[in-house]
Amino acid sequence: MKISSMRYLTKEGLKNVWVNRLMTISSIGVLVACMVLIGLSVLLSMNVTKIIGNLEQQNVVMVFFDDYNAARYDINGRTAPEGAVLDENGICDQMYTVHNEDEAKAICYEIEGIENVASATYVSKEEALEIVKKNMSDKAEAAIDALEGDSNPLSSGARVTMTNLEDFDKTIESIKKINGVNTIQAQSDLADKITSIKNGIFIAGIAIISILLIISLIIVSNTIRVTMYNRKLEISIMKAVGATDSFIRIPFVVEGITIGIISAIFAEGILYCCYRVAAEAILSNAGNFSIIPFSSKAFLLLGIFVVIGVVAGTFGSVIMISKYLKREGSEFAAI
Amino acid sequence: MSEIQSGFAVQKPVIEFKGVSKIYQTGTHALNDVNITINNGEFVFVVGSSGAGKSTFMKLIMREEKPNTGVINVNGFELTKMKHKQIPLLRRTMGIVFQDFRLIPNMNVFENVAFAMHVTGAESRDIRLQVTKALSLVGLGEKARSMPNQLSGGEQQRVGLARALVNNPGIIIADEPTGNVDPNMSYEIVSLLTEINRRGTTVLMVTHDHNLVRDFGHRVIMLDKGRIVADNVGGKIDEN
Repeated sequence: MKISSMRYLTKEGLKNVWVNRLMTISSIGVLVACMVLIGLSVLLSMNVTKIIGNLEQQNVVMVFFDDYNAARYDINGRTAPEGAVLDENGICDQMYTVHNEDEAKAICYEIEGIENVASATYVSKEEALEIVKKNMSDKAEAAIDALEGDSNPLSSGARVTMTNLEDFDKTIESIKKINGVNTIQAQSDLADKITSIKNGIFIAGIAIISILLIISLIIVSNTIRVTMYNRKLEISIMKAVGATDSFIRIPFVVEGITIGIISAIFAEGILYCCYRVAAEAILSNAGNFSIIPFSSKAFLLLGIFVVIGVVAGTFGSVIMISKYLKREGSEFAAI
Repeated sequence: MSEIQSGFAVQKPVIEFKGVSKIYQTGTHALNDVNITINNGEFVFVVGSSGAGKSTFMKLIMREEKPNTGVINVNGFELTKMKHKQIPLLRRTMGIVFQDFRLIPNMNVFENVAFAMHVTGAESRDIRLQVTKALSLVGLGEKARSMPNQLSGGEQQRVGLARALVNNPGIIIADEPTGNVDPNMSYEIVSLLTEINRRGTTVLMVTHDHNLVRDFGHRVIMLDKGRIVADNVGGKIDEN
């Protein structure tokens, strides 16, 4: 198509946006509402994913190594090799795997090598006792103080975090297989819950966005249909004087895309305001709870809106016009 | 394509119907075995009562409908074999004048005429030139900026005529162009069409006005119940 024709058709399309301004305004209104809802769904989903990510990081698995203390408190399950020299607790070196810090750290490296393990940090038995102490009440703390030094019954181990809680059980199984790992303390139920919440939010997000996209498409189609009936006379003349289907279609597509882009810009502004109000409310109630700043996602959201607008505008108008051009064949008979 | 030598002008068929029949899905036999040839430069009136098949005849020429049997050739296009995307090209070779003018109300006279040229992808400079010429030919050069509702019925039809002419078509197809104008203006419109015809354009005009047919004395094709019942020259319509 020639540039002069494209220019003419684009001008016609833009003119239609103004001529049908009431319809345009109502379409923009509904489209903006859809886009804002889509944007809120996206931001909500991103924030929930971030929070869950934090939870995933916090869902620490404690891996205890098979060291002296493990053997000491598991004495009935272990037998000393013949002729071995036992200490006062009835333990000898051959009865456990991890004898010193270096061996323990080597296991940590081995754990870190497992797929889905984000980190494995060495925890000495003293640090392990400190952690237990922190989680106890003041009274119990005094009792734990008595366990310091040689009386510490805890084993050394590793704090392990995972990348993805969906493979939680599989990862635990892999850790168990490592030589030197004695026991694992993990909250498998919590991991399952977090995973199901994450999946639920993802599915709900997709469903909401899909429904809103379909609504957007219907809205633009409807506007174009009204415009088309308003321009029935023009279309019949266009066909009679030899306009091709694409020539007839282009102004409607331009109109649809323009409505889409205007809506995208408004939606971005309104979403910014809504998000700011919501963010302030959340932050004032939830202290240092961190949410994704709007500015970091502003371009992504604007991009999403423009794509929605352009796709809805193009498809909405192409579908409507094609249906119309197929059905309305009569240019010569009176309209 | 056969060519007939007549006087100085070379006459060749621009519209040919060979054994054309059209039956609609409702079972209506709109045209029955129609055979007709219209040569370039002819002025033909198509007459007949309602339901005689005039509209179907015109729709077949414009390739709005396809015949059930027979062959139709218009301006070098074989309509029965042509593809859908060729239809716009066929229509650019003809100018259509409607009974109800079909001017776009929110466009002025100039824009209404220019509209037909935009469709063909013409350049703005050519559009300005051609539209001005077409408007002067129909005597509306002074009213280029007027809106359709500021014009009389006759003037509106002349705008329609300018729009049909602006792309320099080989054929003008006029569907009762005098149906909505007063008798004096009817004569003026047909005179204008005759003038256009004199410049070499083939004119096919559907009309109910027997006085016009008689007074202008052009070739007359009379349709009745889907058949051509008369094809006379000199405006004679009653003999058969």
